[in-house]
Amino acid sequence: MLEYTLRRVLSFIPTILITLTSIFFITRLIPGSPIAALVGHQAVGAEQIDEITRDLGLDQPLLSQYLDWLPKVLTGDFGTSLFYSEPVVDVVAERFPVTLYLTIFSMIFTIVIGIPLGIYAAIRRGRFADYASNVVSSLGMAMPSFWLGFLLIILFAVTLGWLPASGYRSPDFGIWEWLRRLILPVAAQSLAQIGLVVRMTRASMIEVLGQEYITMARAKGLPESRVVLKHALKNAMTQITTVIGLTFALGLGGSVIIENVFALPGLGQLITIAAVRRDYPMLEGGIFYLTLVALVVNLMVDLGYAYFNPRIRHTR
Amino acid sequence: MSTDPAHILPESFWSSLSGARRFRLNGMVVAGSLILIPLVLMAVFASFLTFLDPLSIDASQKLLAPSWAHPFGTDHFGRDVLARTMYGAQISLRVGFGSMLLTALFGILFGVISGWYNLADVIIGRFTDSLMIFPGFVLAIMIMAAIGPSELNVIISVTVLYIPRVIRTVRASVVEFRDAEFVEAARTVGVGDFRLLFLHILPKAAGPVMVQLSFGFAWAVLVEAGLSFLGLGTPPPAPSWGSMISDARDFIRSAWWLITIPGCMITLAVLSLNLIGDGLRDMLDPRLQSRGEL
Repeated sequence: MLEYTLRRVLSFIPTILITLTSIFFITRLIPGSPIAALVGHQAVGAEQIDEITRDLGLDQPLLSQYLDWLPKVLTGDFGTSLFYSEPVVDVVAERFPVTLYLTIFSMIFTIVIGIPLGIYAAIRRGRFADYASNVVSSLGMAMPSFWLGFLLIILFAVTLGWLPASGYRSPDFGIWEWLRRLILPVAAQSLAQIGLVVRMTRASMIEVLGQEYITMARAKGLPESRVVLKHALKNAMTQITTVIGLTFALGLGGSVIIENVFALPGLGQLITIAAVRRDYPMLEGGIFYLTLVALVVNLMVDLGYAYFNPRIRHTR
Repeated sequence: MSTDPAHILPESFWSSLSGARRFRLNGMVVAGSLILIPLVLMAVFASFLTFLDPLSIDASQKLLAPSWAHPFGTDHFGRDVLARTMYGAQISLRVGFGSMLLTALFGILFGVISGWYNLADVIIGRFTDSLMIFPGFVLAIMIMAAIGPSELNVIISVTVLYIPRVIRTVRASVVEFRDAEFVEAARTVGVGDFRLLFLHILPKAAGPVMVQLSFGFAWAVLVEAGLSFLGLGTPPPAPSWGSMISDARDFIRSAWWLITIPGCMITLAVLSLNLIGDGLRDMLDPRLQSRGEL
């Protein structure tokens, strides 16, 4: 296990480098575009443009810009946001908890609903409950989460008036004030993910239920509930662990759009605003940290998976 | 024909998809097509189905509820929502079709190269891995920020987003069959590399690639809508379903039709394409469970 852990953690280093390199070259696909964005609509003289170009180091060749940039960002210095005039890292740190809460809550919600539903659909395979859950999960996967968010706002905020339509309060204002503003975003984000989790759980459960040892367990007269919940679920769980990791990554990706619907001041909203305003340092930093969290969680899931499933540790 | 025995060896695309003898049209494919075909017809014949211009502004016709004159009502600029919905279908379908065409072309090309040449495999593998690192459509946001919002650029970023999956599938098929007996047999009778690849090996990958492209088409519709909603996709005044939802957000209290209609259209389009993908997969290999991959 130690060897496997070391190997996985070491392979993390090149992954980080690749992530940073991709971010650098993709955002600079078009040379000089940060300037055009920065100057934008204002009438700015040629001198000022030159000055900004020099300040950002954009007069250097791309490769030397890259070699200049990489050591800096590796120490966490993504520069100063063009729009907020604050260090990127500070803005990210301030926004980060919101995205984390949203992602963690919707992950929990997705798992609590999705996994039991998937197991139930697998047991009732081919029956009404299976079809019903299939229809619901297909619909959930087809609906754009941002649209679902607005439907929830219309129902629970506008029509019923139970919950606030948008905005955010930090937990300092009291737990309920904080939680009630997260309920609708979490619901909107989860409903889109539940479909996926139901399908994957159902699939791995059906696979396990078809195996011989299950027939054996049934043959020796064990009650069905014991066969399903003890014998089958234990084996299906290893596959479901990966689903949990996937949900987290999905949640982080989805938060980008959900935060815009509900005006949550998180990392996702920051990234999209930076993209629209072409605030490149902010965009690069925001995307890097969002991706980093997804990678770390992925690493933890892999390690957990190897812990529960020793066979994994010895394959390559 | 008879001079080349290798001719009889490869399975054709259609028989690999359906198994010829066990051909049975899947219910999900039928259901998906029944939803998709009207959408396609609506997009293609938009200019015959409505005489209203999706872009013409009329301040006197602002925010009208659905009526005979405007079955889907009008928006805050007095534009006819039905016309915008129909022309919006054109954008979604163009983006989906365009990006999947590019994905298929380059995905197959890079996949074949990657599976056939070991050196290229390392480079292309690194490349696809690095694209798949980013969660959700963060990568698309980054690309759109760099190259600017336009319909063509949406097609490009959806392609970049989706191509790693197709490359991997094609590569897997090439690697699987590279040393297969029928390939060796073909080689001994003097079939060249190029022909081997494109006539003998690639048809084996055709089924899985088709499945992926139909899911990719659905994904493209969602990504286009999402990007346009964020203001990074198809720029206004083009009637993209995503920007229609974005425009409608200020009127959710007063004009329900503005937000419900484009959302329903996206859902129907994505649902139909996912159904077709699921159905095709079951036709390919009935043992495979429907594993929803993004």
